[in-house]
Amino acid sequence: MKIYKNINLKSISTVVLTGALLCTTSCKKSFLNVPPQAQQPSVTFWKTQDDATAAVNAIYGNLRSWANTAFPAIAIESMGGDDAEKGSSANDSSYMNSYDGFTVTSTEGQLQGFWQGQYQNINLCNQVLDNVPNISMDQNLKTRYLAEAKFVRAYSYFRLVRAFGDVPLRLTVPKDASAFNIPRTPKAQVWAAIEKDLADAEAVLPQTYPASDVGRATKGSALALHAKVAMYQKKWDQVLSLTNSVMTLGYSLVSDFEALFRLNNENSKESVFEIQCDYRPDIKDASNSQYAQVQGVRAQQGYWGFNVPTQALVNAFEAGDPRKDATILFVGTTTIQGDAITSVAGDPTMYNHKAYVPFNTPYDNNNPRGSQQNVRVLRYADVLLMNAEAANELGNSAQAISSLEVVRARARQGNAAILPKVTSTDQGVLRTAIYHERQVELAMEYDRYFDVIRQGRGTAVFGPKGWKAGKNEVWPIPQSEIDLSVGVLTQNPGY
Amino acid sequence: MKRIFTKFSVLTFLCLLFINAAFAQNITVKGVVTDGQDKSTIPSVSVMVKGTTTGAQTDVAGRYTISAPANATLVFTYVGYITKEVPVNNQSTINVVLNSSSQDLEQVVVVGYGTQRKIDVTGAVATVKGEDISKQASTNPVSALQGKVAGVSISNNGAPGSAPQITIRGTGTVYGNTSVLYVVDGVWFDDINFLNPADIESISILKDASSLSIYGIRAANGVVLVTTSKGKKGDPVINYNGSIGFQSVTNAVKMANGTEFATMINELSTSAGNAPLFKDPSIYGKGTDWYGQVLRNAMVTNHQLSINGGTEKSSYNFSLGYLNQDGIVKNNNYKRYTARLSNDFQLYKFLKIGYNVAGTASKSNDINNSIFHQIYAAGPIVPVYYADGTYGDPNDFGLGGGNNFNPQVTLDFYNNVTKNYRLTGNVYAELNILKNLTFKTSAGGDFGQLEARGYSPVYKATQGQQNDISLLNIDRTEDRNWIIENTLTYKNTFGDHNLTVLAGQTAQRYKQNYINGTARNVPFSSEGDLYLALGDAGTRTVTNTGSLRTATSYFGRVNYSFKDRYLLNASFRADAASQFYGGGELWGYFPSIGAGWVISNEPFMKDQTVFSNLKLRGSWGKIGNAGVPSNPTTLTVSQPGGYVIVFNGVAYTGKSIDTAVPTFLNWERGVGTDIGLEAGFLNNRLNIEADYYIKKTQNAIFGIPVRQDIGLKDSKLIGNQADFENKGFELLATWKDKTDGGLTYSISGNFGYNKNKVTSVVTGLNPIYGGGDGLTNGALATRTVLGGSIGEFYGYKVAGVFQNTAEIAKSAQPNAIPGDFKYVDQNGDGVIDGKDRVSLGSPNPKFSYGLNTNFAYKNFDLTIDIQGVAGVDVYNANLGLRYGNENFTKDFYDHRWHGEGTSNTYPSTNIGSGANSAPNSFFVESGAYIRVRNLQLGYTLPKALMGKWKMQRIRVFANAQNPINLFGYKGFSPEIGKPTVGTYSPLSRGIDANVYPLYATYNLGVNVTF
Repeated sequence: MKIYKNINLKSISTVVLTGALLCTTSCKKSFLNVPPQAQQPSVTFWKTQDDATAAVNAIYGNLRSWANTAFPAIAIESMGGDDAEKGSSANDSSYMNSYDGFTVTSTEGQLQGFWQGQYQNINLCNQVLDNVPNISMDQNLKTRYLAEAKFVRAYSYFRLVRAFGDVPLRLTVPKDASAFNIPRTPKAQVWAAIEKDLADAEAVLPQTYPASDVGRATKGSALALHAKVAMYQKKWDQVLSLTNSVMTLGYSLVSDFEALFRLNNENSKESVFEIQCDYRPDIKDASNSQYAQVQGVRAQQGYWGFNVPTQALVNAFEAGDPRKDATILFVGTTTIQGDAITSVAGDPTMYNHKAYVPFNTPYDNNNPRGSQQNVRVLRYADVLLMNAEAANELGNSAQAISSLEVVRARARQGNAAILPKVTSTDQGVLRTAIYHERQVELAMEYDRYFDVIRQGRGTAVFGPKGWKAGKNEVWPIPQSEIDLSVGVLTQNPGY
Repeated sequence: MKRIFTKFSVLTFLCLLFINAAFAQNITVKGVVTDGQDKSTIPSVSVMVKGTTTGAQTDVAGRYTISAPANATLVFTYVGYITKEVPVNNQSTINVVLNSSSQDLEQVVVVGYGTQRKIDVTGAVATVKGEDISKQASTNPVSALQGKVAGVSISNNGAPGSAPQITIRGTGTVYGNTSVLYVVDGVWFDDINFLNPADIESISILKDASSLSIYGIRAANGVVLVTTSKGKKGDPVINYNGSIGFQSVTNAVKMANGTEFATMINELSTSAGNAPLFKDPSIYGKGTDWYGQVLRNAMVTNHQLSINGGTEKSSYNFSLGYLNQDGIVKNNNYKRYTARLSNDFQLYKFLKIGYNVAGTASKSNDINNSIFHQIYAAGPIVPVYYADGTYGDPNDFGLGGGNNFNPQVTLDFYNNVTKNYRLTGNVYAELNILKNLTFKTSAGGDFGQLEARGYSPVYKATQGQQNDISLLNIDRTEDRNWIIENTLTYKNTFGDHNLTVLAGQTAQRYKQNYINGTARNVPFSSEGDLYLALGDAGTRTVTNTGSLRTATSYFGRVNYSFKDRYLLNASFRADAASQFYGGGELWGYFPSIGAGWVISNEPFMKDQTVFSNLKLRGSWGKIGNAGVPSNPTTLTVSQPGGYVIVFNGVAYTGKSIDTAVPTFLNWERGVGTDIGLEAGFLNNRLNIEADYYIKKTQNAIFGIPVRQDIGLKDSKLIGNQADFENKGFELLATWKDKTDGGLTYSISGNFGYNKNKVTSVVTGLNPIYGGGDGLTNGALATRTVLGGSIGEFYGYKVAGVFQNTAEIAKSAQPNAIPGDFKYVDQNGDGVIDGKDRVSLGSPNPKFSYGLNTNFAYKNFDLTIDIQGVAGVDVYNANLGLRYGNENFTKDFYDHRWHGEGTSNTYPSTNIGSGANSAPNSFFVESGAYIRVRNLQLGYTLPKALMGKWKMQRIRVFANAQNPINLFGYKGFSPEIGKPTVGTYSPLSRGIDANVYPLYATYNLGVNVTF
């Protein structure tokens, strides 16, 4: 009984004390104040110049995304054109055909892929534009970063407004959920916002960067995109003056058209803006561009063979135009780099040569093949053709002929027997010639489809494959977005 | 105060009395303990001298010998039987008859933080005995519960080593952690896959809110309490259970054969205006049966050995388990080794300590989960191997896209091993401060390490399946969790009043660390090469993430009963969870109350003979759910590899903010009411238990899709978005009897009805959409809308199939081609668009039922368990999930549209494209099934032999699991568990995209007791 008592008391005190101790430790607020694990809280971000740099890097990195460069972009920006068709094997991803034949409905997945992809770019730009101004850092660098963000934002809105018409215009990050559900902004206002961003950007951006920064948006990038934006609105004066400005910046054409699209000519003297892509097996997802993979030669492992040239495109080239073979990779031929282009049953007979990456270029199974290939967004040849078109529309045939000739001369590569100089000063004839030149020069570069619509020739060119005026100028707004907006977003007519 | 003092004196007096008793003259008492019903002897019955620690145990023949004071009282206890006290009164032989407690309210059930007599329970608590689980030779303790308990629905995934999806009384929550809480000997788990089913003594399933409420923080999805076996006093008892069996696919889906496939691919090509791919489909004949090629009859072996025993002062239980299960996919294998040791020491009369530690090691040779899609999709015209022994290549047949694989290659070159090491356990001390007051403190821990190693070798098999640079991938996930509990229990009787008061405190911490490394060009001549260090320097990557959650809680409960007639239970819990720190209400408070009336104990019931037991009970309680990811209100910075930019060959980190978080997040709360009736008839041969319940979830946390033009990475925002309700009815009826001819049997049927309804959503009348992903071609296939059920299927209603262009021209779908689905124009506006979609069915089962029977005659025993669900739908995503030339089922071939007048229900082979693949009623099928879940025949060898062999018991058995399955669903199995790819969400429940095929298991086994 005595032992009972002693131990009883001792045990009670020990155990109860332990319990109480545990209680006090666990009840402390610090026990519950758990910081996020393996994630940087946003309150510690937007503090330093390094933060600003990283946030601008993210904008460029994200431009490689699937939505920006692969299926969604192909569906929205290429399939509708007469120069490209689905490719791959007949029944593979046959939904792509609904873009080619204009039977697409609003639930088709590439619509929302493209929509989301562009708005993801825009969010990354808005993050920079909202937050970087408050960072204390090198003032010049800050101003440049903001201009770079405005350039990419303008580029993304340009792609959106071209594809969908009126789109929600978000120029800041939504502060909270109440700002989530906004209606579509009339496209005139969207165009205006794009032009303002570009005007701001071209005033600030440098024309050249040191080697370590090559690939960032330049003054020329902003001016050229601005010209294109103006061209889509038929503001010919503006197109002319902007392209004239670009033509003073020192760009020139790469003499060999085929070589222009190879890896060693990335960021060349002709390059006005390119999406920077690379192969980095040491960094997960840094080699995520599938631009070349989805368009590559199917008979090669890892290539899918979508977005292939059509017979209409083959026919569009003038006799002897070397650009035909540099644009279209024919099965049965061997490339300059020595790759034999083969096929198996059901494969396409032609591929996009501009997205071709020589087969001996390093790759592995866990990264898309050809992830090195930069996407040529804006080329000097495009600028020259815009200049020619604007000059012709304004009645300045001399300048139109001269700019057009620069492009044709390069294509000719000294062979006087082909691609004769266009000499007609007739506005109509010249216009047709310029349209034709755009078609063959920029074929398979995600330009043709909207170019034809812009030119008001949709019915004439695409009518035979189902294009209808009053409807197919724009694609449908993704149904999932309309669903989520609870009717705030409206559908385009005819869908 | 005075009263307590008096009480205390009485207590001390009693205490002295017992100690004095110990000095009385001891005599030796012998006897035999038998079962009151079948008169068989009961081994391992604990025989104790009341008030002392002196005890003995009956042997195999039910005999015991104990030395006890002549005036002592002996206490006979055995699990499942009513404890009996017999005064010695100088007798040297005392034969005792014990009555099974299942026929009586004296039965004890495990509840949260304690036990209660069944008679005192006012909530809905179901218990399952360990033997009912181990008997099934099931490899997973949870799947063994299927069909056993009303209101509990279990969907097995089927893959060896995988956890089933369990839902108690309907979907209670939709976001974050949707799994029930498993409490194993006081330690909390999200899944109990690592447990050896043979180690389980009992399982309690807390169903109603009042029983759950004491687990506030994690109660929302229901709680399953698992008690593992403890040692019993007596000589060592050695048990061995072993079984060997094989698993075989049942209800296989028949795919189209070579000729049928080629015919359909030609139709697909011509429908798109292309030339047919195959000149003469008939040359392909039967072709390759990919299911036959990849699946197999697979062996499963199970060995379990346990030793338990003890003395007056201590007891022990030690067990070892070994499971070796081949998957029904070739190369798939799962091995699990388990060891468990528990010791309890009665150090002093007032102090007991003990521990319980279990180790599990498992190793899985994994399969590439895409194999299920591949064998469904693979073209039967492609041979496994060509005559020269090389792999058949789909590209040689022009198939490619969507079908660019030879499943055999996928099997052969997939090399992934997952090892799971887990050490769990707890230590406790129990101190009787006063006779009626017990303090218990316990600390539990869970240390897990999951190792996954994948190696992709260099190979060239087909055009689409080759690898030029090897890749080694190593994953490590470490869990370091602990829980501390302190409880004080006061239990006393004051005349007719019974009172138990519990007060407690607990703290928990959950830490996880994940690290992944990859390297390329790692050679592989042996496993010794598989280290990242051997890879090329410029190719190594590393990823490291983790999570940390903490919680602290206080709780209390009062159980009061008067004359065993009137019952009152009340509890309260307060929880603080780190998830809600700074951005929500830190504390959540969860009260509950329950009352019961044992009518059969009323004096006025004394003379009636109809009811042997009648009890009415009702309860109400609040429960909570903190199962949201850590720091949900803290906005964080993203820096994925996709934001890395390379300028001039140098890679730069990209960071930004691409998510949105709510500024405030509240506890998700549940409120539940339960009314129950328990009745026993005919001397308790028939027992009926009926419950009606309403369970409401308030402030349900959802990650709802938000508009993508906000630019977020995953376009979701979490928040307290909705309220919903599960209302239902459960019935359990058990008949137990023994015939004069010696047949003992029990038949138990259970039935549950649950109706799931959304009562409010933040978006008002507008639905929350879900179920998109790749499974449904990106379209949102489910919606959660006011008045509907959670995640109901949503899409177009199919009116028929277009037969010709004339019909199309007149229709609302001008772009359709013959053979396409004709949808119902719900709003009659002449256009088929999003506004024409309607509810197509619900993935939440309305009815679930089970029939469990046991028969014993002489030495034979037979168990038949039947189980099923009804009132549920399944979305057969396999049908529409097509990228190109995937195969079709034979059923589709037989019924497809292939020309005017051929079908008005099945579309053409163009089913995977355009408007046809949009979610629609064709893809939604009934998910009802009925299944013979378990069939077992056992034979116990005659006792005479046992004596000769010096053994206690040998039983041999044959068992079949899932041998018979009846359903109309056209996929493999309407039982859609957790998906093999991707994560589970109640918003995309019931979408079948390549579930693990259903299989039956046939075992032969033996139970031996030495």
